[in-house]
Parts: sequence; structure tokens; C-alpha cells
Amino acid sequence: MLVVENLTKVFKYVTAVDHISFKIDSGKIFGLLGPNGAGKTTTIRTVLNIIKPTSGTITFEGKSITHEFFNIIGYLPEERGLYKKSRVIDVILYFAQLKKMSKKETLNEVMSWLKKLEIENYKFKKIEELSKGNQQKVQFITAVIHNPKLLILDEPFSGFDPINQQLIKELLLDFVNSGKVIMLSTHQMETAEKLCSDILLLNEGKEVCSGNLSQIKKQFGSNNVKLEYQGDGSILNNLPYVLHVDNYSNYAEIQLKDDMQPYEFLRNIVDKIKVKQFTVIEPTLNKIFIDVIKQSIKQS
Amino acid sequence: MKKALIVAKWEFIEKVKTKTFVISLILTPAIIISFAIIPTLLSNPQNSSTQAIGVIDTSGHYFQPLEKVIEKYKTKNNQPRFLLVNLAGKGKNINEILKTANIYTVTGRIEGYLLINSGGTDSVNAEFRHKSTDLSNDLGTLENAFNEVRIDLALSKEGINYKQMKTISSIVDIKNIEVGNEENIMQSHFLILFFTSFIYIILLMMMILSSGGMLIRSLIEEKSNRLIEILVSSCSPDELLTGKVIGLSSLGITQVLIWTLIGLLLVVFQVIPSQVFNNIVPILVYFALGFIFYTSIFVGVGSIVTTEQEAQQITSYLSLVLVLPIVLTIPAMENPGSILVQILSYIPFTIPSIMILRFNIGTVPNLDIITTSIVMVISTYLSVSIAAKIFRIGVLSYGKRPSVKELISWIKEE
Repeated sequence: MLVVENLTKVFKYVTAVDHISFKIDSGKIFGLLGPNGAGKTTTIRTVLNIIKPTSGTITFEGKSITHEFFNIIGYLPEERGLYKKSRVIDVILYFAQLKKMSKKETLNEVMSWLKKLEIENYKFKKIEELSKGNQQKVQFITAVIHNPKLLILDEPFSGFDPINQQLIKELLLDFVNSGKVIMLSTHQMETAEKLCSDILLLNEGKEVCSGNLSQIKKQFGSNNVKLEYQGDGSILNNLPYVLHVDNYSNYAEIQLKDDMQPYEFLRNIVDKIKVKQFTVIEPTLNKIFIDVIKQSIKQS
Repeated sequence: MKKALIVAKWEFIEKVKTKTFVISLILTPAIIISFAIIPTLLSNPQNSSTQAIGVIDTSGHYFQPLEKVIEKYKTKNNQPRFLLVNLAGKGKNINEILKTANIYTVTGRIEGYLLINSGGTDSVNAEFRHKSTDLSNDLGTLENAFNEVRIDLALSKEGINYKQMKTISSIVDIKNIEVGNEENIMQSHFLILFFTSFIYIILLMMMILSSGGMLIRSLIEEKSNRLIEILVSSCSPDELLTGKVIGLSSLGITQVLIWTLIGLLLVVFQVIPSQVFNNIVPILVYFALGFIFYTSIFVGVGSIVTTEQEAQQITSYLSLVLVLPIVLTIPAMENPGSILVQILSYIPFTIPSIMILRFNIGTVPNLDIITTSIVMVISTYLSVSIAAKIFRIGVLSYGKRPSVKELISWIKEE
């Protein structure tokens, strides 16, 4: 478990990170979200122990982060790039050895990773001879080959086509199953929505929203349901616990009063109308992100 | 520390493989040696084969003694340099002889011919007639031989023995020997000075520039693609820096070893004088200190700049400082004890090259060696630790180049 408490980093004139706290359990993907310049990179760098925090504590499995943690951390920075003139195998070996893997161990692991990412034919090629997507795959391998307990990924999907995005997603879910602590920083709200169980939304160094994703959604949801039905839809307008109905050709989006639970509503209407499909509409993370950031800008 | 060695190994192997390294390894000494050797070769284009030279001697006194005198001139491979051919019997009169001699010269049977005109008892003149103009060197030799014969003939006519006369009139050289350095007879020969001083200074400069350039380029690459972040999340910045410096120094050592080997081979084959290695030990010490000092400056610079252009700008200023001692060679040679040379012997930027120069111009007092070494070691230590501090923060900052004020605050930061 990674625990960050009251983390603050002040550079000469700016407070890049202002008293933020979060926790990541093993086997969970944590989303660190926020607009550009929100303080995500600074947070990541302090967790990586590249820079020292001004105040606050960071602990991993109960111990505070020191240089001893270098070997159990895997990091994929947002901006990609490797030694262009060097061979794939040499680059992977170098980074693996820096993580204290022996040469023998690395050579055993390399082939299976190259196969997993479908680039086994490029083992002895120079990095510059690879396509951008394949270069990114090599970099992904360098971040995970030493089987890190804490994995920090900054925009892991950027630059990948949908097929490869799927491939990376599956690998991440494998990591979740093997109990790794994963921190994901991204702008892609759809991805964060699918993968992250908890999130922290930052703006100008401050926490604007954090916690369990489904709870956040509930918090920001306005009790809307989507109903696909057969029969006369006009009766929906006249129900006492309905605030508003948007009627489309064969379905309706209904806003319920706050004290009306969706399942309660369903129970009430099944006799009156032939229900084909019923869904509780949750606000998308994207919408929450935009709303929350706008609101925090207004407040400041 | 183990991680520093991993970094060092990577830096060394990846850079040894580059074309730039291989080129600088071979091209640098090749260029310097050709600079030194080509002028000598051009000024002394001695033929290695015997040349046939015709002689038309109208007096009849010259041919035989000339043949005897000319025997002492040998080519490089110890063959007689000239073979004299008496053309006197090649025609009925002088015109016919000249005609034949001209034909021989044009067809290449002889390189040319020496026409000795005796206009009476005492006056004599000589001409050397030949086809091409590249015989100027031979002309000098022939002239010397001819004059030796002429003087000998004139003297013996007066009853004076030429050999006695020569012994009496011979010139005695005053040997240039320094007190305290008696075994080492100074020979202020340009070639020797060139190889013993210039070559080391130029090699040091080229090495610092090429490896410093490599270091800056690799730092810029690592910064621009954020590889540096992966590196410093795998090992501490100090380990990374130590690794880089060790890697680069081993690269330098490899370079020096190969160059020394080339130098030894050249000495063995007598291409360069063996005096080159006279002061090799102190020279290598200053060489090493200078290399580390400048490399640490390049580390500091490399961690501040973000683009190749910026790096080139700063590198060119540094190289100017490095070349400065070469400009000062001539005044320093004329007056090794001058105040300017003394001052430059205590400035860390110029200590290595000025000291290398001073070792070859004259004896350097032990006190000077000790004090300059101490100055150099202290300033190398300071520059390395300052560079390390700048490196720690500099490699993680992007965008605007930091101001001097910011740099000072980085250096002060604990």
C-alpha cells in the first residue's frame, strides 16, 4: 500500500503541490487526474524520490520512500524516448540491470515480454529502426521487466493504436490481479473510468475531488434513468416523483426527485408500462472533470 | 556504487561503438602527425635511387677528384647517391658533346649534366643542365662537392694540404646544456618541440572537446526524451554522474593508450623522435587532471542547456580557453620565466597545457610542480562537486536556461 499524506512541494515562487493525501491499495489502479500544470508530474516525482517534498510523508508498505525503493518501482514517463542508436536488447538489459536484475534473469524475461508485446522480431534491431508504437512497447517493457511492486504510468496509452491500447489494458489488468500498486496519470477520462477504482483530481496543486470512483459518480449524479419501453409514454409525465422527462422515439431519459431511488421507481412503473430496458445514468468522468475544474476556477 | 559501474559500462560501450569515437581515435593523431611530417617531407624530397649525372669537364682536372668526393653522398638505403658519367669522349668537339649530352638528358639516360668551363688557370665556372626542376636539392649537393674539389685543387697548387686546412678552419658548435639537467642536452629543434609539447596540448584539447561534446549530446538526448527521469528513478543522481564520469574517463584512457601505442610504433620506426616520451609521466598526470577538470565543467554545462545550439555556443568559448596556451607557446619558449607564463601556470584552465609546454622548454622547479598540482587537484575537486550539484537539479529542469542567481542557489542547496 502506498500512502501519501499532506504532500506539499514549494518551488521558489509556486506551490506545485499543496497538501494532498491519498492511498493506493495493492491490486488497485489509482487515477491521478488533472489539467496540464495541475501538479501531477511533481507528485509523481516526489513519489519516485527524484525530488524531495517540502513537507508531508510518503510511505510504501509502511516504510518511508528512500533510495532502497528504486528497484521495486517501475516508471513510464509521459514523454517517450530511448537511446536511438542502441539495440532493443541492449537498452532493455541496461535498464533492467539498473533495477538490480542479473543479466541472466533479464535474458530469461526479455523473450517472454517481447512475445507478449508482439515485437520478438526486433530484438537485435536498433531503436531508431522501430516504428513509434514499437518503440513505446520497448519502453513499456523497460518499466515493467523487473516486476515492480509499485508501477507509475504517465499517459501509458498515448501513441498506441486501439489494438495496442487493448493489449496494454489487458497487461494492466494482469498486474492488478498480481497485486501491484498502480498509479495512472492520464488525460483520457474514458480510460481512467474503465480502469481506476479510485481517483484524485488535482487543479493548481490542490485536491478538488478524490475517493472511490463509483461514489464520486453517485455524488455528482442527478438521479437520472434511461427507460426503453413499449406503449404510451405520456403517463410518465404525470408521475409525482418525476421531475422531468425527455421523450425520444422509443426511449426516455427521466430525471427523478432526489428522494426517489431508481429501483423504487422501476418497481412502481413495471405495471403501468412494458419495460424493455432500464439503466441508471451515471455522469461520465469526463463531465465530472470539466464541471469540477470549472467550478474550482470560479471559486478561486 | 554497483549502479555507477553499470552506468559507466553502458556509457563506455555505447560510445566506443560510435563512429565519432573511432574517427577521432584514428583521425586525430593522423592529422597531427601529417602536420608535422609533411613539411619535412616536402622540404627534403630525397631520391632513394642512384642518379646518373653526366660531367663535361673542359679542363680535364675535375672529373676524377669529383668522382672521389661524390662517393661519400649516400641515399637513405645506403646506395651511392650519384653515379658520375664522363661525357668527354662522346664527340669530336664541345658542340657535339653538348648535343649528345642534351639527347641523353631528354631521353632520361642521365638526370642532367654538369658542365665545367675552365676559362684559364684560375677562373672556373659550372652549370648544371637538366630536364626538370625538382633537382634543387641535388644541385646543392653537387655544388658542395664541386667547390670542395675546386678549393682542394687551388690550395694544393699553393702547396697547402686541404685536410689540414679543413681541420683548422672547422667550426666548433657551442653545446647548449642546462645546469641541473646535464644528461638532457637541449635540442631546440622544431620537430622535437612540436611533438613533445604541441602534440600533447592538441591531443588534450581534441580529447576534451570530442568527449565533452559526446557527454553534452548524450545529456541533452536524455533530458529531451525524459530518459533522465527513468535513470534517476533507478539510481541516485550522484551514482549516475559518477558512472558517466568513469565511463567517459575509461574512454579517455582507451584513447590515450591507443595513441601512446601509435606514438611508440612511430618512435620504433623512427618517424618521430624518441624525446617525445622524455617527460611522459608528469605530462600524463597534468593530462588526466586537465581532462577531469574540463569534463566536470562539461557536465555542469550539459545539465543546464537543453538544446544543441546552446551547447555549441558554450563549448566554443571553452575551446578558446583551451587553445590559448598554444598561442602563447612562442613567447613562453623565448622567456619561460616571464610573469605571464607564471600567472597562467596557476590558473586551472591553463595549468595543464602551460605545464606540458614548460616541461619541454626547460626544467620546471619541483616547487612549481607541487604547487600547480595542488591548485589543479583542488580546483578539480571543486569543479566536480559544483558540477554534481548543478547536475542534480539541472537535469530535471526544462525550458528556460537558469540565471546565474538561480545557479548559485542550486549550488548552495543541500
